[in-house]
Formats: sequence, structure tokens, C-alpha cells
Amino acid sequence: MEAVGHAWSAVAASVRGAAHLRSGLPNQDAVRWIEWDGVTVLALSDGHGSSRCFRSDTGARLAASTATRVLSSELAGGRDVADLALIDRVARRVVAEWTLAARCDLRLFPFQRAELMHLGEKTGAEARASVERYPLLAYGATLCAVAVTPTGVLYFQLGDGDLVTISASGRARRPLPADERLFGGETTSLCSPRAAQDVRAAFQRLDGASGPALILVSTDGYANSFRDERGFLQVGPDLLAMLRAEGVGPVRECLPAWLEEASRLGSGDDVTVGLLYRGMA
Amino acid sequence: MMRRPGGELATRPLHFIWITDCSGSMKSSGKIQSLNTAIREATPHMQRVADENPNAEVLVRVLKFSSGAQWHIAQETPVAQFKWDDLSAGGATDMGRALTMLADQMKIPPMSERALPPVLVLVSDGQPTDNFHKGLAALTEQPWGKKAVRIAIAIGEDADLDVLRKFIGNPEIDPLQANNPEALAQSIRWVSTAVLQAASSPASQTVPQPALTIGQSGSISQRSSQTAGGHVPVPQPVLAAVSGPVTAADVW
Repeated sequence: MEAVGHAWSAVAASVRGAAHLRSGLPNQDAVRWIEWDGVTVLALSDGHGSSRCFRSDTGARLAASTATRVLSSELAGGRDVADLALIDRVARRVVAEWTLAARCDLRLFPFQRAELMHLGEKTGAEARASVERYPLLAYGATLCAVAVTPTGVLYFQLGDGDLVTISASGRARRPLPADERLFGGETTSLCSPRAAQDVRAAFQRLDGASGPALILVSTDGYANSFRDERGFLQVGPDLLAMLRAEGVGPVRECLPAWLEEASRLGSGDDVTVGLLYRGMA
Repeated sequence: MMRRPGGELATRPLHFIWITDCSGSMKSSGKIQSLNTAIREATPHMQRVADENPNAEVLVRVLKFSSGAQWHIAQETPVAQFKWDDLSAGGATDMGRALTMLADQMKIPPMSERALPPVLVLVSDGQPTDNFHKGLAALTEQPWGKKAVRIAIAIGEDADLDVLRKFIGNPEIDPLQANNPEALAQSIRWVSTAVLQAASSPASQTVPQPALTIGQSGSISQRSSQTAGGHVPVPQPVLAAVSGPVTAADVW
């Protein structure tokens, strides 16, 4: 899968996790990208997948599509990524429009008695009651997104997952600060009432050849598949070298198999990776 | 195909730690022998569950306490290689000391951030003789101590259920009550299989936050809620009623 924009292009793949294959669960990640009016946006989402979040695959799809739509419309026409009011508006719009989309889905497809009974049997009456009180829990999902305009990059994250930039010299770094609450399988979420306040965002101005050569976005199942942080951070520089040496075709072709191998030998979780790269397709 | 990008891949470590009471009272009515037998017999079942969940690397250790505490099996042992060494009983019930030692092992490092939530199983027949609360505070100060799945098994009716509930730290999970060897064997096996299975492939959960309620007008209100191990849905124990001939000596 590939999209070609002004000077940036996107490649992405998403695979069902090895543990999900064993247990019969679907891929609860989603990824989407768009190039529109000078803006390239890539967004991916990881549905929580717990028993309470039994529609989180839908929640993830709604998250990826909402984020690409909102970011591309807000940044179209040469808007400045450093506009803090715009960033705040994007956060609020993404959360509000995801919430609306999830509620529409729920109205179209109300919870079935069997779904709620299964939840109650599997995790107890309290879990069932929590979903009945607050149905958006069923759709809980994270969001990682990047928007690139001719003059800047906007990084946007709610919950776990990884955003990594790789410079032209091959140096990997994380553009967003860590959130200490994201530990031990717990994550902030689009389904939280505080979701808009939990968004982390950063902007970076682009001036000529400055800025990253490659941006890697991934769900947490990918980083969790590496023995250590160093091994994960090596992915970006390796991919940049491959893109330069071989072009995008072989990378696009191999990406799903690499992700399947990572899940099988690593975390077992669904794995989704998106790449935004500059001027080498 | 091109070489896979990035460094070495690895499954995620899952630390499973037995914390066993070896005080003098465990000598009576064959309790310590029953515990030895129960864990030894549950180990193959534990190995089977681990085989079925190859993305979790189950590592087992054993911490014992009586007068003081010490690691009975200190090495993080892959479950496939785990063999039970019999415990013996005698001395006081220094549970607080054991929890303090456990807290040291829940630090990062030696734990890694990418580990799965550890499973800590406390088995006791009595009341702590040292400062339990200090030990529990030390344990829950550590990120993995707080996030661990904490399970407790009460052996006999003299076990301090209030202390065990505090160790569990989750009102949705009660201590398992084992008043005879069969009930103990069932409880040990349930922990070794059902709990291990749940901990091996946990899904993400939203961060602990106020519980959510939605009003008639659509307004959202919150009330505080935070529990240990809340991100791993511990299944409800399904323990068969122990029937058949039971002698007075079998009841603790």
C-alpha cells in the first residue's frame, strides 16, 4: 500500500497478531493515510482488545479515518503546523468526531444481548455494568498520527504506540515526550472523558532539506516485539538505508512479512507500521 | 527477501513468583507436604499453558518466609525447566520481610518495561509476625509491584484473610480458601493455569481513572477507582467442591 504526495510518500502495513490468530480474535489495529491539498496524513490506531472493549476493532478503524479527515482538512491550504490554537482544535475535533462516529455505530448496531452476556460470563458483572453505563468503552482505541505540509510536520498521539523520526544521517529520535501513565498494558484512550486533554502533540517546521528523512509510526505490538529499545530504534535507520538503496518497492513488498515475523517471534500482538518518507520514491 | 530491519526479536518475559509461608504452623496437619505436592503436581499443567502461549516467556521463582525470608529458587527459571524443590517449615511468619525482598525484584531494572505484568502468588496459613504493611508499601511503590497480578491462597482457618486481601489489593478478587489438601491442590492448579493464561496475553486497558457513569442528559460523571492487576482480567475461580471421605486430620 502506497500514496505519493508533494515531496512525501507513505507506505503502511498491518498484520493480525500471532496470539490473535491462535485465539481467533481479529486484527484490532487500523491504519489509513491520505494526500490532499498539499497535506500528507498517516494515522494508525490500536483497539484495546480487552473483553470490555469488544468493538475496539471498529473503534480503531473509526480513529484512523477520523484523524486523517480532521488533520487533512485543518491543515489544507498551507496552514501553519505551529498554530497552537489549531493543534488544540484538532485534538478536540478528533475526539468529538470519533465519539460521534462510535455513537452512530452503536445506534446502527446496538449491543446484542449475547455480547453483553458473554462479557458478563467472561469478566464478571462489574465489567458488563461498566459497558452498559458507558458504552463507548466497547470501542476504546489509541491514536498515533503524523501530518506533513510543505512547511512543517505535526505529530499527534493519544495512548500507546510509537512515533520515531530518522534524520538524513540516520539518527532516530522520538519527537514526543513519554507519558509515564502508559505502563504495564495501560493506556490513555479515545474513549476516556479526558481524551482531548490526554493528547500529546508536537510540531516541527520544515525549511528546505531540514527535518526528518523518514518518520515511522507503529502500534505498541511492534516495539514490544524487540528485545530492547535499541533494537526497536534500529528499525528506522535500517529502513532508511533500504529505501535509499533499493527504493520503496521491495520495502513495501517485504513489510507485511517482517511484521508477521515480529509478532510471531515477539509480542504476539497485532502489529501495524506506517512510514512517511521524503523524496526518494 | 531483504533482511528484516531492526534488532533482535524476543517474546515478553512473564515473571511468576510463588511466595510461600514456611512458618512453624505449616508443619502441622501435613500442610507443608500438601503444598509441596500441590505445586509439584501443578507444574506440568503450568508448562502446558506456557506452551500454548509462546509469546510469553514464563520465568518462575520461589520466595519463602519464616524467621526472615529468602529465595528458595532465586534464578529466573524458564517454566519448561522448572522443578519443584521441597520446602520445609519452622519459625515465625515474616511476611513483611518477604514482600520487601520481592519489592527489590520489581524494580526496573532488574525488571524490563516491556515485561508482561508479573504474577505474585502468596500462600499463607497464619498472621504476619513482622511489619507486613511496611513490606506491602515497599512492594506497591514499585511500578511492577503495583501492576502485578496479586493472588493469595489462605491455608486453613487461621490464615489472616484481611492481610491477604490487602496483599491482593483488588476488591474483585478474594483470597482462595483451602481448608484441606484437595482444596489446596485445586487452588494451586487454578493459579498455575487459569491465572497464568490470563496474564500471558493481556489486552490493553485504559489507564486507571475514575469510573465512568453517563447521566440521562448524556453528561459524564466520575468516581475514583484503582485496583492492582486491573489490566489483567483474572478469571473467576471455578473450584469443584471437594467431596468424598474426609477425616478430621484432613481439615486445617
